[in-house]
Amino acid sequence: MTTGNGRRDGSPYAPHTDADEAAMLDAIGAESVEELFDIPDDVRFDDEFGIDPTGERELRQTLADLFARNEELTEFLGRGHHAHYVPALVDDLSRRSEFLTSYTQYQPEIAQGFLQALFEYQSMLVELTGLPVANCSMYDAATALAEAALLANRLRRGASGHRVLVPEHIQEGRLGVLENYLDGADMEIASYPMEDGAADVDALSDLVDDETVMVYAESPTVRGVVEERLADIGDIAHDNDALFCLGSDVVALSLLQEPASVGADVVVGEADALGVGTAYGMGLGIFATRDDYLRQVPGRLVGVSEDAADMRAFTLTLQTREQHIRKERATSNICTNQAWVALRTAMHMAWLGPDRLVGMAKDAVTDARDLADRLDDISGVKAPVHDRHHFREFVVYTDQPAPAITNDLAGRGFAVHALDDHHIQVCITEVNADAADELVAAFEEVA
Amino acid sequence: MNFDQARFSREDVYEPLLSEKDSTTVEVDADGVLPDDLTRDELTLPGLSEPQLARHYTRLSQMNYSVELGPYPLGSCTMKYNPSFTEDVAADPNAGVHPDRSDRTIQGTLGLLHGLQEYLADIGGMDAVTLQPPAGAAGEFTGILIAKAYHEARDDDRSEIIIPASAHGTNFASAAMAGYDVVELPSDEEGRVDIEALEAAISEETAALMLTNPNTLGLFERDIVEISEMVHDAGGLLYYDGANFNALLGRARPGDMGFDIMHYNVHKTFATPHGGGGPGAGPVGVVDELAEYLPSPMVRETAHGYEQYEPESTIGKVHGFAGNWLVLVKAYAYIARLGDAGLADASAKAVLNANYLASQIDLEVPYGPFHHEFAATSGDRDAADVAKRMLDYGVHPPTTKWPELVSQAMLTEPTEVEDKASLDDLAHAFNAAYADSDEALETAPSKTSARRIDQVSAARNPRLSWQSLDDSE
Amino acid sequence: MFEIPDDRKYLESHEWTTTDGDTVRVGISDFAQDELGDVVFVELPAEGDEVAAGDEFGVVESIKAVSDLYAPVSGTVVAVNEELFDAPELVNDDPYGDGWMLELEPSDTDEFEALLSPEEYREQTE
Repeated sequence: MTTGNGRRDGSPYAPHTDADEAAMLDAIGAESVEELFDIPDDVRFDDEFGIDPTGERELRQTLADLFARNEELTEFLGRGHHAHYVPALVDDLSRRSEFLTSYTQYQPEIAQGFLQALFEYQSMLVELTGLPVANCSMYDAATALAEAALLANRLRRGASGHRVLVPEHIQEGRLGVLENYLDGADMEIASYPMEDGAADVDALSDLVDDETVMVYAESPTVRGVVEERLADIGDIAHDNDALFCLGSDVVALSLLQEPASVGADVVVGEADALGVGTAYGMGLGIFATRDDYLRQVPGRLVGVSEDAADMRAFTLTLQTREQHIRKERATSNICTNQAWVALRTAMHMAWLGPDRLVGMAKDAVTDARDLADRLDDISGVKAPVHDRHHFREFVVYTDQPAPAITNDLAGRGFAVHALDDHHIQVCITEVNADAADELVAAFEEVA
Repeated sequence: MNFDQARFSREDVYEPLLSEKDSTTVEVDADGVLPDDLTRDELTLPGLSEPQLARHYTRLSQMNYSVELGPYPLGSCTMKYNPSFTEDVAADPNAGVHPDRSDRTIQGTLGLLHGLQEYLADIGGMDAVTLQPPAGAAGEFTGILIAKAYHEARDDDRSEIIIPASAHGTNFASAAMAGYDVVELPSDEEGRVDIEALEAAISEETAALMLTNPNTLGLFERDIVEISEMVHDAGGLLYYDGANFNALLGRARPGDMGFDIMHYNVHKTFATPHGGGGPGAGPVGVVDELAEYLPSPMVRETAHGYEQYEPESTIGKVHGFAGNWLVLVKAYAYIARLGDAGLADASAKAVLNANYLASQIDLEVPYGPFHHEFAATSGDRDAADVAKRMLDYGVHPPTTKWPELVSQAMLTEPTEVEDKASLDDLAHAFNAAYADSDEALETAPSKTSARRIDQVSAARNPRLSWQSLDDSE
Repeated sequence: MFEIPDDRKYLESHEWTTTDGDTVRVGISDFAQDELGDVVFVELPAEGDEVAAGDEFGVVESIKAVSDLYAPVSGTVVAVNEELFDAPELVNDDPYGDGWMLELEPSDTDEFEALLSPEEYREQTE
């Protein structure tokens, strides 16, 4: 029996009345809905999953109770997933159903709003990177890096080798994803050493050869170190006919050297620092590159055109690069991407404007420096371990075992990350800065 | 139903760009913060107030069609209603933790992930499920890497993946990315896998056969058990593309049909919003024999609570962290809300709706019996033009000119969320557009925010940023 | 009906060739440009590149399709139609004239024998 919303015997989101269902079956010429299923008996599922339907109110309570099992810790965590304060405007407007419940813009005439927002996102990345082509999203920094390596391999197809050089300090997930994406292209990964937290440029120079198709460097690095010799790294890559890929994030890009000015051919990285907040690693991969490589770009691109009324209009363009047309010869298999996250990132960046964005980035340097200095004053603690400029985060050395300290800090309400037996990484942004005093006090007690 | 989409315009543009409303250049003076040579000189971005931004984005939203505005019957996309409460659940501040947190301190997060792993395994008839792949194509890639790891572990070097010609483009691209040669399989006269052609295609080089079932014409592959035996006898694996799984919810499970690996499109089957192109999630399920190859980490339940672990022969990572967490929360909430009865009702009404809609349109549907979607043909009318004209009737048109097996195809999937009146509106849009004059079709649409957009000019002269507009002026 | 001039030879993959003895000019047929629709991009090799008969030498793209271009004969590229980079529509407007793609200096003139005559190509497209 169907009794409208709230009934227990069907989907609350299938609106059919009994009368409608009967009329529809009649129009089809079928006796029952079951009759419409052309599934052989031997593969029919006649059992149950044992999932009881749950009312919306009860379910919200159940899930709230479940999430309440997460301990309320103040997180001083970074390493590729960074939390900044997301303004209410972003939640409010991005959750408008016109944005949230729309599909990819295959009918551009009826999807100008989202297309324009994505075009604006692309343009913001062009400004931040100095590179003229930015796509409208990859899944995250890890997959964006992997796509950059595949692009380098396609461009350098004539080269004798297929090696990608990555820094010794790299987030494990990024390295893992890179390994998987390169496996099918018969490419290999080698790492170059770091010296006091930054690229050992001399060692890198010795490692790059004509087998190398791409050199990857990050600024800030996974340990928060600002790379000081990006232009040299770019030169080394280019002298060996390899691409220079720079990894960063949208906040750091507003302050640090413009990637184009240091010779970056591709910029990848995370945009989740704006518009996402802490979401268990859900991200937004940025991908920007040179005009020359336009036809090799993975993912979707929004471009400008005109409509029949001679008005400027937006549309997805250069789709022949993509899987739905080029199939196994596409530049990537990506289809569903992170468009809605890109919308949120663009909203957040627009909300900040250039002044506040740069200010936030400066705070990331000075707040990290101040916190490191205060931790360094504690007996048995040295911070930062690397004598470098840092952005948001830094590594701390502890005489006492780091896992025990991390555990003790959790008991006092703080989450930090133990890198190994005597190193802890600490990350500070405006969302945890108010708790910095308490963190220092707790560190004093446990270190 | 009459329809006019909102249209904000001034002079020769619709809503101006953010950069046209304001462009502010700030000197980046980092004195005392960083040495000059480590910073950029200046940054130019829009600098607008919050009320200005609120109006900008609200106007843009009104120039965007969505499921909550009307039917969105894109074939193979499963544009169903996205329940509001799942958004609230995902926004719970306690749900937003950092991935570097220790297991002990995030039992709620791990509990939900474990619960979803179990739900999806049951619903697909699989033994173990990873939630890490961030989209359907990423799921395909993950699944193929698992197949590759399985064969390599047996020192069995195989080079080919077999894919029906009518499959989604992602299948081909994912197989190629994993390093395989693609063998394309033709359809038989009835639109299903051609068994003889499959026989000829299968060899000791076959690593896997990728299948969508029901296929992209909405037809169930009736010979699936025989197909499964053929592939397995040759030492290959059977991969299930979950794009069309909404048709089978609670009625048939890929695991019971002999599939070894499958991906789930939670943004299709389990009602998480498409967000204008993403984020989605593409969890991958496997049979017991393949569980050791799943990406790391997985979540398991122990006497001490939930913990993450690395499968014994894991393929490693396919996402930097744990995939699209917020999407997974919404999928869990949807499944828990519907339960057994709701899930089975979703597939029932999805199939009922497709069959009813097909019975009400004047276009021929050459293949059947179909399930949740059908490929109509617009015959001697251009399907893309008919689709543009349908926009003027206030509905989103179907997927056009695909699959190629049907000429001038209009692949239509109304999903279970449309009621009879809405389907009647859709049928009217189909029939009216199909009967309209050539001129009406070629000049459509006119009631949308923008008129027909020149795709050729966009591609011949790529302008991909507001900076490129300045250059061309 | 598509135009199939009698003064040249064709490939099954829809390229045409003409020769003045020393060099061979290559383009795509009227039928091919019509199938593709509005051409938006043409990728061609560089002057001096070597191509072998049957090899891919470039790509022609429309909005919805991508087509590889195949060399009718082996030889050295002596000229490419650079106008196509800025005006790919020439392929649609004048496939047998201004829409030509490249000129080769053939290394083996015998290879011409394997190409289709206008009659044979006409049969293929009908």
